[in-house]
Amino acid sequence: MQTVPIPQTGSLPLPGPVWLFTVLLVVSLTLHLAAMNSALGGGIWALWNYFRGRHAEHPNSRRLASELALMLPNFLAFTVTLGVAALLFVQVLFGNFFYTSSILIGVLWLAVIPLLIAAYYGFYYFSYTSEKGRGMSGFVLAISFCVLLGVAFVYVNNMALMQSPERWQAMYRAHPNGWNLNVGDRSVIPRYLHIVNGAIALFSAILAHFGMRKLKADLEYGRWIVQRSAMVFAACTGLQFLFGMWMLMAIPRHIAIVLLQDPLAVTVFGMALMSAVAAMLLILLGSFAEKNNAMVHAGFGMSLVTLFLMVCLRYLLRMIYLKPYANLGALAVSPQNGVIALFMVLFLGGLATVGYMLRLVARSGKTRISADGPN
Amino acid sequence: MNYPHWQLVIPGGLLIAFVAVLHVFVSHFAVGGGFFLAVTESIARRQKDAALIDYCRRHSKFFALLTLVFGTITGVGIWFTIGLVSPEATSTLIHIFVWAWAIEWVFFFVEISAAIIYVKTWESLPAHDHQVVGWIYVVASWMSLFVINGILTFMLTPGSWITTHNFWDGIFNPTFLPSLVTRTAVSVFLAGIFGYVSLPKSEGRDKVARWSALWIVAGALVLPLSLWWYFACIPQFSRLYFDRGFIGVRHAIRGGIGFTLMALVIALLCGLWKPRWMRRPPVGFLLVCGLGVIGAGEYLREFVRKPWVINQVLYANDLRPARIDALQSQGVSDTANFLLTPDTASSNYGENLFYLQCGKCHSVAGYRAMRWRVDGWDTEFAADILQHIHMLRGTMPPYPGNKGDRRSLGRCLASLNPSWQFTITDANRLAVGERVFGARCGHCHTVNGNFRPLRGAFENRTPSQVRAIFPALGEMSSNMPVFNAPDDQAQALAFYISHEAGKPMPFKQPPPEAPTSRSHSRFARPARPWQEVP
Repeated sequence: MQTVPIPQTGSLPLPGPVWLFTVLLVVSLTLHLAAMNSALGGGIWALWNYFRGRHAEHPNSRRLASELALMLPNFLAFTVTLGVAALLFVQVLFGNFFYTSSILIGVLWLAVIPLLIAAYYGFYYFSYTSEKGRGMSGFVLAISFCVLLGVAFVYVNNMALMQSPERWQAMYRAHPNGWNLNVGDRSVIPRYLHIVNGAIALFSAILAHFGMRKLKADLEYGRWIVQRSAMVFAACTGLQFLFGMWMLMAIPRHIAIVLLQDPLAVTVFGMALMSAVAAMLLILLGSFAEKNNAMVHAGFGMSLVTLFLMVCLRYLLRMIYLKPYANLGALAVSPQNGVIALFMVLFLGGLATVGYMLRLVARSGKTRISADGPN
Repeated sequence: MNYPHWQLVIPGGLLIAFVAVLHVFVSHFAVGGGFFLAVTESIARRQKDAALIDYCRRHSKFFALLTLVFGTITGVGIWFTIGLVSPEATSTLIHIFVWAWAIEWVFFFVEISAAIIYVKTWESLPAHDHQVVGWIYVVASWMSLFVINGILTFMLTPGSWITTHNFWDGIFNPTFLPSLVTRTAVSVFLAGIFGYVSLPKSEGRDKVARWSALWIVAGALVLPLSLWWYFACIPQFSRLYFDRGFIGVRHAIRGGIGFTLMALVIALLCGLWKPRWMRRPPVGFLLVCGLGVIGAGEYLREFVRKPWVINQVLYANDLRPARIDALQSQGVSDTANFLLTPDTASSNYGENLFYLQCGKCHSVAGYRAMRWRVDGWDTEFAADILQHIHMLRGTMPPYPGNKGDRRSLGRCLASLNPSWQFTITDANRLAVGERVFGARCGHCHTVNGNFRPLRGAFENRTPSQVRAIFPALGEMSSNMPVFNAPDDQAQALAFYISHEAGKPMPFKQPPPEAPTSRSHSRFARPARPWQEVP
């Protein structure tokens, strides 16, 4: 028996090249995280502004909470939809690691499903009732937000555990019924804080971008959004550096050394740091402008670039963790070229169809597509 | 054994079924309900029927809340559950069909986008554009079903993929089309049922009630035809399960037919004939019928695939045939990645084997409980019968372990019940014999049933003549376990067999080992519950 048991992936070849699955995984995960950050970050923004807006002297908070309330269910819808794609591709490349870690924390992993349903309906409840000021709205949103924080914690547990096979056997023998948590891994807490704080940061950048677009219709309201979101973004980005440092110190020393000696990882890391700083400066400076300012939009763009680079870095870190156990280059590959081509065509067709529907909506000129719950 | 086994208090298969039935119920409504909304809106717009448009608007809100949230998340839930319970099968399907799932995801993405836009733009979009969005939803959701249907049917009928390993051979397999028609019919059926959830209270009520009833009737009429077609295309081994008297199969068939008929009757009575009767109780009952139809269908779909999870590729215990060969020669302790104890002499090892090898489908005392299935077994008999386990009634895979493993598991199984101690009298001899028959013979035989009946061998024999045959059973067939029951139990068993085989038979006996004739299926029920195969 192996000292570190690694499930075999079977004799079937990969139905496409590793690089293609890697690209699809990284891109779909980036999009999933952008939507997830909107749901989680948007949730805390909505919650804060809802309670603040209950006082008459904060009409902007009240208005923002109402607008966010109508967007939150959509954010969650696309978090799930885009997450399915990432889930699909991670199973292709790292299925044997992913399934094993999921089984080890099986109870909590499966609990994600009812928790998500509860949070999702909570968001819908808030979107229907927040404007009417019903008493339970804020409470329900707070519960939903806490539930999403819990879901994020389970995800961080699983993603950290899947790249630590040396912990599996002991955990399985301790609790074969899936009542495990990966809290023995020192990197889990900083990783979790990094994810949650990053979600607030990214959504603040999105909100700054949103506020800029509001300037034209309502200068005062738009400026209020931009300035507050810029401040929060800057603060959270600063905190990200601290949490990032903590995480770097918490991962095993030999892993950190390999990461910091890998030219590609260092390059990506450096670019991510620079883009984060650039995003922070651009949004902060742009937030003082009186009218629509390209700097905020650029800062928003840079924050998305930072997210993408962090996802790439995360992938590289996982590869370092799994280096003793997995060699993607050695996997047998038998590309299903015809099906891949069909997927690409349909993917473009799907994007075009969604674009067409959005164009119909935009053309109508009256709809509030992102801001109107199901009636 | 490649992966750790998630040790649940219920069999993993039951967990999958629970999540899957709920998801399939809502996801088929997502397909049919979208079609229902698009067609209804078209009619309402054409007829300028404001009440009907208002109904569509309200129904779309319910539709979105149910399908976007519950339908979508439980779909992810299936991914999670199958990965936890059958990681090997999930990995295998992913390796074969990842691009099919990627394509399905594209349709899913369009579907979700269209649903959100559709439900939010009743006031803002021009009527034509709104209907276009509705029809985009219809196409995307049905295409999503189209692709998933290919993967699901592949699991039972991989067809020529087995030899070619060609993606298209796998997707367009022998049951693809009948299953697609069946699922489309179910979607239409459910669309009608769910149509009543948003039934208007006053204006337009009768019209909607009759309209929804038509959908239920249409779905219910197509269903038997498509299922008959599907049944004609499933493998021979699957068809045999309908004749082997499995209680679960029988209940699922009766339930499926019963729920469909009840829904049909309610639709005709309270929908078409007297729409004012369509109040909450019949609507609630219709929803129960819809869920019942899905539950029955899913149960049968899963059952007829036994002993496989992917026919000819992977057994229900998540093992490939080649892996079973290795396990039989090397044993579990030398090959499994995740064992709770490496000490093969300990009783914990047998318990570990139970969960590892049986736990995906069986529990100790709950669903598909082993406790009553092995009542009356001793360690030696259990260890012996385990090597013939795949010969029982076809639902079990070959035993994945060596002789030592069989003995350890056998000891564990035997320990689930206290050993039998009988004081046999003339009064209870027949009853005791029947129990012994259930424990020793009933897993593979009936006396007068149509599955491996013993009547031919024991007809007109006295108990002592029957008893005299027992010591030689092991030599009659390599698939027979050694008969080692205590003498008093053997006497009672002989008495029971002699008694039962001597009964006059009102029907013609089918040939042994070929229980294919459907004309005898009403006699196929087992004499006692324990004769159902584990």
